[in-house]
Amino acid sequence: MIELAQQTRGGWCVVTIRGRADAEAADEMERALRAAVNQNHRVAADFANVDYISSAGLRAVLQAGRAAQERKTEFTVCQLRGPVKKVFEISGMQHVLRIEEELPC
Amino acid sequence: MAQSAVLSDVEFTLDGDLHELARLAEEITWFCEENALSSEIEFDLNLAMEELFTNAVRHGGCEGMKDAVRIRLERRDDAVNVEFADSGREFDPASSPPLDLTVSLAERQAGGLGLHLVRRTMSDLQYRRSGEWNHITMRRPL
Repeated sequence: MIELAQQTRGGWCVVTIRGRADAEAADEMERALRAAVNQNHRVAADFANVDYISSAGLRAVLQAGRAAQERKTEFTVCQLRGPVKKVFEISGMQHVLRIEEELPC
Repeated sequence: MAQSAVLSDVEFTLDGDLHELARLAEEITWFCEENALSSEIEFDLNLAMEELFTNAVRHGGCEGMKDAVRIRLERRDDAVNVEFADSGREFDPASSPPLDLTVSLAERQAGGLGLHLVRRTMSDLQYRRSGEWNHITMRRPL
């Protein structure tokens, strides 16, 4: 189960993600992140309430990151917690995505 | 190496359908609660099994098959031992090349990430083909 919400604050579009970013939820998460990237200049994905992620979820974030690069949208992944943070790190996501401890706004 | 005794175990099957991921997570939660295992171990077991299950469904030809995957979890003194069997095409996860983590975002390949995560979270990954089944054994040290 995944829940997605979007709001604009301080010039940033913040996509809040809650729940499990598994293979069943990945497409929905990718659609939400890509839509935000296509419609905004600055997008922050808030992972504070994501308690699980697999490679399918990481791929969704990578695809959104690629779309952002092509459109020259600023894209940042924020507030990774616990084992979710570990999965990002062991997958080398810090080499290809901007990852921040806190939200930019 | 002598194996420590099995303290508790569980076996279950999954159909070849990604909707089964919710049940997989429930089975692992139940097993970890029964055995007083930490949420970090639960996370790693869930991750490794989701990756193998999703590969079998998406790439191994298990999609739509009843009881396509059999999983056995054993709680031992020093580890959780996992047996994962799927009735998909022959596939040795050890044959997948290591992931290059240094390439740029544009060049990052989609494939290989799942097995990379399995190798990073689990130990002693072994594979054998037996009849129509792929058998993968691995352990998560405690």
